[in-house]
Formats: sequence, structure tokens, C-alpha cells
Amino acid sequence: MLVPTIGVEVHVELKSKAKVYSHAKNAFSNEPNTNVEVIDLGYPGTLPKLNKEVINMALKAALACHCKINQVMHFDRKNYFYPDLPKGYQITQQETPIGYDGYLEIEVDGYTKKIGIERIHIEEDTCKSIHSLNGTLLNFNRAGVPLIEIVSKPEIANDKEAVAYLETLREIMLYLGISDVKIEEGSMRCDANVSLKEEESNQFGTKVEIKNIGSISYVGTSIRYEINRQAEMLKRGEKVHEETRRFDDKTNTTILMRMKETGNDYRYFPEPDLPYVTISDEWIQETLDSLPVLPAALRKSYREAGINENNIKTLIANIDLSMFLERIKERCNPVVAANILTGDLLSYLNKNSMTLDDLNLNPDYFTSFIDLLASGELSSKQGKELLPVFLEKKESPKKLAKLLGMEQIQDTDALLLMVKKVIEANPSSIEDYKKGLDRATKYLMGQIMKESRGQANPQIVSKLLVEELEKY
Amino acid sequence: MTNYLSKSIKELHELLKSKSIKPIDLVEEAFAKIEEHDYHAFITLNKEEALKEAKELENLEVDNLLFGIPIAIKDNIVTKNLRTTCASHMLDDFDPIYDATVIKKIKERHMIIIGKTNMDEFAMGSTGETSYFPYAVNPWNETKVPGGSSSGSAAAVSGRLVSLALGSDTGGSIRQPSSFCGLVGLKPTYGRVSRYGLIAFASSLDQIGPMTQNVEDNAILLEAISGSDENDLTSSDTPVGHYIDALGKDVCGLKIAVPNYYMSDTVDREVKHKVEEVIALLEKAGCVIDYIDIPYLEYAIPLYQIIALGEASSNLARFDGIKFGHVTDEFSDLEELYKKSRAEGFGREVKRRIMIGSYVLSGENANIYYHKALVLRNEMTKAFREVFTKYDLIIGPTNTNVAYDFGVKSDDALKSFYDDLLTIPVNMAGLPGMSLPIGFNHEHLPIGMHIISSYFMEEKIYTLASYIEKELKLDLDPKGGRTC
Repeated sequence: MLVPTIGVEVHVELKSKAKVYSHAKNAFSNEPNTNVEVIDLGYPGTLPKLNKEVINMALKAALACHCKINQVMHFDRKNYFYPDLPKGYQITQQETPIGYDGYLEIEVDGYTKKIGIERIHIEEDTCKSIHSLNGTLLNFNRAGVPLIEIVSKPEIANDKEAVAYLETLREIMLYLGISDVKIEEGSMRCDANVSLKEEESNQFGTKVEIKNIGSISYVGTSIRYEINRQAEMLKRGEKVHEETRRFDDKTNTTILMRMKETGNDYRYFPEPDLPYVTISDEWIQETLDSLPVLPAALRKSYREAGINENNIKTLIANIDLSMFLERIKERCNPVVAANILTGDLLSYLNKNSMTLDDLNLNPDYFTSFIDLLASGELSSKQGKELLPVFLEKKESPKKLAKLLGMEQIQDTDALLLMVKKVIEANPSSIEDYKKGLDRATKYLMGQIMKESRGQANPQIVSKLLVEELEKY
Repeated sequence: MTNYLSKSIKELHELLKSKSIKPIDLVEEAFAKIEEHDYHAFITLNKEEALKEAKELENLEVDNLLFGIPIAIKDNIVTKNLRTTCASHMLDDFDPIYDATVIKKIKERHMIIIGKTNMDEFAMGSTGETSYFPYAVNPWNETKVPGGSSSGSAAAVSGRLVSLALGSDTGGSIRQPSSFCGLVGLKPTYGRVSRYGLIAFASSLDQIGPMTQNVEDNAILLEAISGSDENDLTSSDTPVGHYIDALGKDVCGLKIAVPNYYMSDTVDREVKHKVEEVIALLEKAGCVIDYIDIPYLEYAIPLYQIIALGEASSNLARFDGIKFGHVTDEFSDLEELYKKSRAEGFGREVKRRIMIGSYVLSGENANIYYHKALVLRNEMTKAFREVFTKYDLIIGPTNTNVAYDFGVKSDDALKSFYDDLLTIPVNMAGLPGMSLPIGFNHEHLPIGMHIISSYFMEEKIYTLASYIEKELKLDLDPKGGRTC
């Protein structure tokens, strides 16, 4: 039987303040060719600098991916000619990647698997070329923007694992705060290598590379397509050629870009303009100590707290929400808090095109709001009404609830009157109750809430209702 | 015509300070001499700007030894708004937008740049003949090469067109022309002087250094251009010495090694004889001299061919016809733009070296040649370090010979590398080395002695050099018919 072997290469753009080898600002989106120093132009006589923030960020990534660290590392030149490469070489790390031999743990369809990471290395981005009818324009804002390249081992078995691997990797980079990892903006770029081999063979099949795939789900689609394409070819007795393909999102197929020439010759050699960098044990320890909580650990703690899987997914995908929950979860009911954050609060933010930061949410008010809901002092319906009010007024939700007349009726005598009145008005419900039908209490409960304009304490009403019905 | 420019920096300083002369006198003398006879030392003159600066200096206090002193700059060091060609068609209309760190430093001292000097194209050569421009000649005998690659800097200082000059040395490009032209030329320790703004030939070997008429001037200029630089991460933060204090110190008891390899039969008889005379002189002065063997020296040339040319092939890739430098007139696609621009822009020697360099880095060759060369370079460095645990200095001849006729080396690509047989090991190890004039051969062509110290021990070189200079009292002005 044919089995696929899949490896994934990811470029992640780091959001350091400055570029990696010059002091120019790292802000590609500014007016073209404004964030440029002579170094970025490859101007004759210039020499590269080295941005320590970039090394720190890459070290975080490497440690978060459980990599071993090359504690004495250097940079290498990768030589090739292209107009977007002003020096005629890219300064990268060939011999001594900052991290090597790591792994990521992924979850797919209920099983977990470790995907090995071959290497993580630091390199510089090229200029952005804009091809137009009048020729090619170059934007040097991107030249020298720091990248890390993360190369997986060929241990990915199928498209689902590839997608899970990329989502996991993306989440980690996001939580480390070192990149925006937005594929559509180019701050994360994915290439996949796919080959097929006979299951019992230990010889890999011919590898096809799919370049620069536009989204994580397209990675899945393109791998699926590529596996089928290659399998069909092999079935027909054809040979798979070593080639580079691209994914076409209109037809959901991969299209040949170019055949691989025998061994690209990049004439790598150690970059003589940059000194060796020593990463001490202390540096590594400090970085480890400074790592934020990562998605895997968060997921585990959410599960232990009893938060449901859907909410966990939403929380992890919205780092500001999960970080907010981290701050308050010891002080209130985390399940209720998660419900509100991923539900009403998130839709409030979306509706108003705001971020949590914009909202400047007071954690004390939020926790007291959660307390009101968790204790039943506020019904969920009242909660829905109160939320936008307290978010906008930025006042204590308790005070606001009172102002809005949302205080619950807790007086047993008053509630008993209401219960009796509703039961008498609905004799058929008594029959239903005797038959043991659930809908009876539910219906009556609804009527009472209506009567009280939602202000009756549901716990007390529920108790009184059962007591009264038992009397018939 | 005046001849102030054959005086020492200190003498000129006294004259400037006492207002006996003004900077403009020196600048006018320089251009008068250049107009009369320039030895093809310069590619670009900075006349207008130099005269203007000299005028402006009249209102300023003479605040340092180098104030108002005319200097020539090798044309591979970038100078803002002053054409910098590397003696190549590739850059023959290149006006840099920034100053090299050494240029900033000499400008801070109010030195006056007279012009940019001729050289071998991209510093590749040892005769000056690979220049795209008419090549510089040797002021001692104009049928002889001035040496290279800092040919124009050597000719300009030797011909007394300027007081001093900056050169660059990758395998001997300061020391060999200094030896051929009767100058004091120093290649500092790798990292002593910032390379920022030096158009790279071989980044791990290149170093800028002073070329001067005497040892004292050399020490003064080195101090002015040295120091760590945030723009060059390979520059060192080892404190800069006050080199002038090292001059005239006692040499008695100095332990000096003479490598047998440096005194082999490949060295010209007259050159060897002169070096032996100096050795006798030093022994008399109480120096301890031992003849020793240093392993791996014989690999200098293959090492250079691999490491220097490998790096060069990469460093010169940026000259692709897209951003700076020569662009071919007609091309139909990108590949043709590259090929034609580079084919037209670079001269033969540069192309040859780019090809060799690309070859030694290609595919499996990287292991066969390049990585092996790095290992050997490391061993050679260790061997030197070992010598310096026992000795203060290493001496020998700078070159195997004196200045020779034009054309003799150009028929054989390998031969020209052999000029650097004795100078390359110093670059490989990153050590400082000086060429000091110690006499003349029967044709009255200068002979240079090589003085090498351990890392950042330039003081020791200056101490020994100043002693030998004082003892020999050579007349190093080729005169060219001039008197003061």
C-alpha cells in the first residue's frame, strides 16, 4: 500500500522593532522604500549588524518547539542572483541553526502525535518585487526583515496532521508574541513536501514541493490533491518527477511551476562579516523562565476547569481573551467566565469592531458580573441586557443591575403568590405534571418569569413550584 | 616649487602651528606636484573641495598633529560625494552617499583629502596593472611596478605628492607596494581598524592601514584611524595604543624569530643580504634572534586562492547591473542584463578570481577546498600563536624581490600571487605586519623588511622599526629632481 511522507517548511516573519542586520525600522507596510538603510541596499562597503532582539525571539521559538540549541552559532551566506536580493547573497544559518531536533505535539481526531522539527534558523527576507507592465518595482522595506524558518521532519502522515501541525505552530508563535503569523499578509509562509512510498519500503519516494500556499486549510487541500495525483501516476506506472508546484485555489489543484534542477548550488560559506554568537546557559534559562503560557498548557488547564471544547477552541484562537481569562480565572467561576468571553463579549467586540484592548475592561467589574450570573442573582437574559450597559458605562455591574431594576425578587411570600396564580391559570399543566411530563414545570417556570419581568429568583421559584404542584 | 610634503608630520605640525605655513600651502603644493608629474597615482582628484577646506581651516585652531595634513585615499574606501571606483569600469561613475568610518575619523582630525588613488581593480593584483585606468608607476624607476594593489597610494606618498595615504591589505596590498616604493606600510591587526566603508575584497582578510614616509608618521596615522566601530562587528574593542610612545624605546632583550621559510632560496640574494645586515645590527643592540620553523607557511598561496577568492566571488555579486555600477546598454532579459553588465564592467583578473572563487565554493568543492582551507587556516593561526608565546616579534623580508618591470607577471596568473608568499600568512592569522625600508639593491630600488607582532601589539613593531630607521638613516625621497 502507498503511504504519504509529508514535511512542512514554514517561514515566520518576526515582529522585532528593527530589521535583523540593520537598524532600519521593521515595518514593511509603511510607504515603500522608506525603512531603508545603506545596509539594506547592499550598498558597497557596508557591513551587517546583528539585532539581539531577533536572536531572543528565535531562541524563544526554538525553546517553545522543544529544540536543542546551538550555543555557539554563526551565520552563513547563501549565494544566488536575483533582483530582490540586493547583496547577491542572503545571510542565513546553514551549518548552525539556532535550534535543531525539536518537536511539536499535535491533536488530530482525538489522538495526539509528536511531529519532529528538524531545524529552526534565522535569516533575512528579500525585497518585495512588484511586477508591472512597465517592469519590476522593488520595495526595500522588506529587505532584511527577520524571518525564522521552521523545517519539520518528514513525519506528517496526512493532510489533517499537516493542518494540525501548522495550526499548533501558528498558535505557539502567536502566544510567544514574536510574530503576527498572518498567512494572507505574508508574515507566515508555508511550503509542503509530499512524496509517496510503499508502506513496507524504507526508501522515500520522489519529493514534490508545493510552494507558498495561501492558507492553512489550502495546505490540507493541496496535500490531499497531491497525494491523489501522485498515487494515480504511480498506479498508471508513471514516474513522479522532482518538481515545484503551486496551489491553485480556484480549481483546488496543484500546478507545475518548475522542474527541480539538479541540486541548486548556493555556494554556502560562513559569513565573515558577523562574529560567532554564544548563547550561554544563563541566556537559555532566562528565556525559558520568560516564556508565556503556551496553548498546550492552557488547553489542559481549561479542560481541567470543565470548560467545553468549543469554548476552549475559541479562547485559544483569541489570545487576548485567553490571556484575560488567565488573569481572572482564580477569582470567579471559569466556566461561566469562558461562556461570557467567547459568547456575548466576543460578539459585542465583533459587532463594534473592537479589540479587548480597546474596551479596557475592568477585571473587577467583570468578575463581579460573572459572580452575579454564577450565583443566579442575574438570569442569563438579564446578563445579556446588562453586559453592554456595564461595558459602556464602566461602572460596577451590581450598581447598574440595581439601577436597571434587575434586582431579583427573593421574597418567598411574594413569589408564592405568583406561583399560585400561574398554576391556577393553567390547569392543564397540573395534568401534565401528574403524567410526569417535564414540559409542565418548564412552561410554568416561563410564565412566572414573564409575570415577574424576569426578576424572580429562579432557584426559589423552582422549589416553590414543585412544592405547590405536589399538593394537587 | 616648495617641497614641504617630504617633511615629517611633526615638522609640518610645528610649521602650521607657528603659522609659518597654512594648510593651503600644502594643498597647493600637492596639486602643483600632481599637475607636474602624477605617476598616475590618482584616479580622482578632490581639488576644489580640498582647496575650500584648506581655506576654512585657516580660521580654526591647529588642534592635533594631523590638522591640515594632505592625505591620499585608496579608491576602494568610500568617500561621500567623491567618486569611488575601485579602479573598475564597474564603478567608474559611482559617487557614494556615505563616508567610511576611517574617512569620518580623518575628517574629524581636519586632514585634507587630495584624491582617490589608483589600485589594482577591486584590489586584485600586486602590480597596479589590473586597474581600469592608466596604471601607476614607481617613482624610484618608472619602468618598474609600484607594487599593488595599493599602487597609487604607494606612488603618491613615495613621490611626495602627499604626506601620507591609506591603503588596504588583503594578502600584502599595503606592505608589498610599501616595500617596492620605500615606504613604511602597516597592515594592522584584523579588527584594529574599522572596515565599514571599505569595498570588500575578502572580508575575513581585508584591513585598512597607513602608508607613510617614516615610522613616526605611521604611528600617528594608525592611532587616528583605529578603534572599535558599531558599524563593523569584526572591529575590536581592545583599547587603541598611543603608538607614538612606543617609538625610541629600548630594543635590548627583545626576542625575535626569523622563520627559515622567509630566508629560503626563493628570496632574492640582495634582499636576503640586507635583511641579514639588519639582523646583525639587532643582535648588536642586544636583541635575541632565533631562526625557527613555522609549520603550514608553505600553504599560504593555495589558502589565499581558496579563502580570499571564495569570499570575493560573493562580495562582488552585488555588482549586478541593478542597483549601482555599470549597466549594459541593451539586454532582452534578466540573465542577459546580469551577464552583459558583469562581463563589461569587470576586468580580466577580477573575472578570473570570481570564477575561481565560485568554483571552490561550488557543491562538493566546498568540502574539498573551502572547508579544508578553513581548517588549515586555523592551524596556521595556532602555529603563529605558539611562536608568540616565546617571541616578541617575527622578522624577515617583506617580499622575495624588489620592484620589477611592467608586464613580467601578467602572462602568468599564478606568478603574481607569489609576490604575496610572505605577506599572506599574516592576513590568514589576522596579525599586524609592517614593511619597513632597510636599503636599496644595486639598481637603487628599495628593499623592505617585514616586522610581525602578536595581536594588537603594534607598539612592539613601532619600537623595533623606529630603532632600525634611526640606525640606517636612509634617504627615502626618490626626489624626481626636486629640492626644497
